[in-house]
Amino acid sequence: MSFDISLILDSLPKMLSGIGLTFQLLILSGVLGLFLAFVLLLMRLTEKWYFSFPAQIFIYVFRGTPILVQIFIIYYGLPQFEAIRESIFWPILREPFGCAIVALTLNTGAYVSEILRGAVLAVDRGLLEAGSALGLSRNQRFIYITSPLAIRLGIPPYSNDVISLLKSTALASTITVFDMMGIARTIVAETYAPYEIFISLAIIYMIFTFFIQKGFGYFENFMSRHVKK
Amino acid sequence: MEAITGWWDDYFFATIVVLKIFMASLLLMVIFGLIGAAAKLSNSIIAKKIANAYTIIFRGTPEILVVLLIYFGSAIALTALFQVFDPSIKYVDVPPFWAGTFAIALIVGSYATETFRGAFLGVEPGSIEAARALGLSNIQTFIYIRIPEMWRIALPSFGNHMLSLVKDTALISIIGLNELLFVAEQATATTGKPFTMFIIVGLIYLGISTVITLFVMGLEAYGRSHLRAVK
Repeated sequence: MSFDISLILDSLPKMLSGIGLTFQLLILSGVLGLFLAFVLLLMRLTEKWYFSFPAQIFIYVFRGTPILVQIFIIYYGLPQFEAIRESIFWPILREPFGCAIVALTLNTGAYVSEILRGAVLAVDRGLLEAGSALGLSRNQRFIYITSPLAIRLGIPPYSNDVISLLKSTALASTITVFDMMGIARTIVAETYAPYEIFISLAIIYMIFTFFIQKGFGYFENFMSRHVKK
Repeated sequence: MEAITGWWDDYFFATIVVLKIFMASLLLMVIFGLIGAAAKLSNSIIAKKIANAYTIIFRGTPEILVVLLIYFGSAIALTALFQVFDPSIKYVDVPPFWAGTFAIALIVGSYATETFRGAFLGVEPGSIEAARALGLSNIQTFIYIRIPEMWRIALPSFGNHMLSLVKDTALISIIGLNELLFVAEQATATTGKPFTMFIIVGLIYLGISTVITLFVMGLEAYGRSHLRAVK
């Protein structure tokens, strides 16, 4: 058992060529997932059962099953139906990349909407009462009082979820997406040097995690700049 | 749905495999978590450094990467180790069950480390002082005061860790263990009905996580039972 440095130097540029796909997966599904989470949040905050119940079922199903199973259902499962193959979504669902985006979006949307709901419910009631005493309408209270405070409360758990999303993007390699993980797996299959390749890839992912944490840390400081330390 | 007939027994045994992995990794996860928390709370700087590295590494790398690294890595390491004693051995096979169980227990154990650490720190100092005043020894304080207070604090996060463990078992199909996703792939190859086969896997996982959620809710209610009289 030896540690082959030249192999790492050879394969690092190859793996880093997949960085673009990893970023695309992370950012596309992150943004779409945030939008979905917001829609789900609004559905749950209405008191109409026909809005909140479907949202609750969606969140329950996507939080209760492994993301890998969700990816497989969307990539391998959906083409079983003629209707899907003839629908306008087929150009997206035909590609492994599109399926990965759809699966990651639905999954992260379910998790993030729970984070947002927790943050909204954690906003101090007294502030909302003060708002209504000042004559703000329900919508004004939501926009000017609840939202800024909820964003600040939601940042730490949300940054954890973005890190989970980054880690989940590696699962796209199971449906032949050649992101960093997919490329690393092919190199390992060719060279049979799991230590060198996988450990250097793990370090790359850890560097990303570090930057995501730092980035959200700065954002949190910015959002709470008027809070006395 | 008639495509499933003939596959029920495969799904059943695969579910048993998933439950076995869950039980084994749950035990290992608690052990890793407690060791990690003990190291982080200890006075030794080296133990703290090691525990910090452990949580940073396993919380920052994708789960699939850890599973693959431990499976292939342990095969190579064990082969090298056995060749020292018997050069005729070409390759040592590591069972995917144990490699996978160990990998997911390590991953979730790093999260459990933080949970247990927080829970031990969350024990009321007043309770400890009361125990001292009553003349309880350190061990007695640990068993009768710290543990009962600590598990109630840790329980909600611990329930989430159990759910993560269940969901991470799906990853072990990647290293070729005959579990649910693996059965679904085989069934798809024979019947050509991928959606039906993978939806069943999803429903089984949903069932397992529902049972765990209800179990944790029950435990939480039990943990609060002494507070009910106050209301």
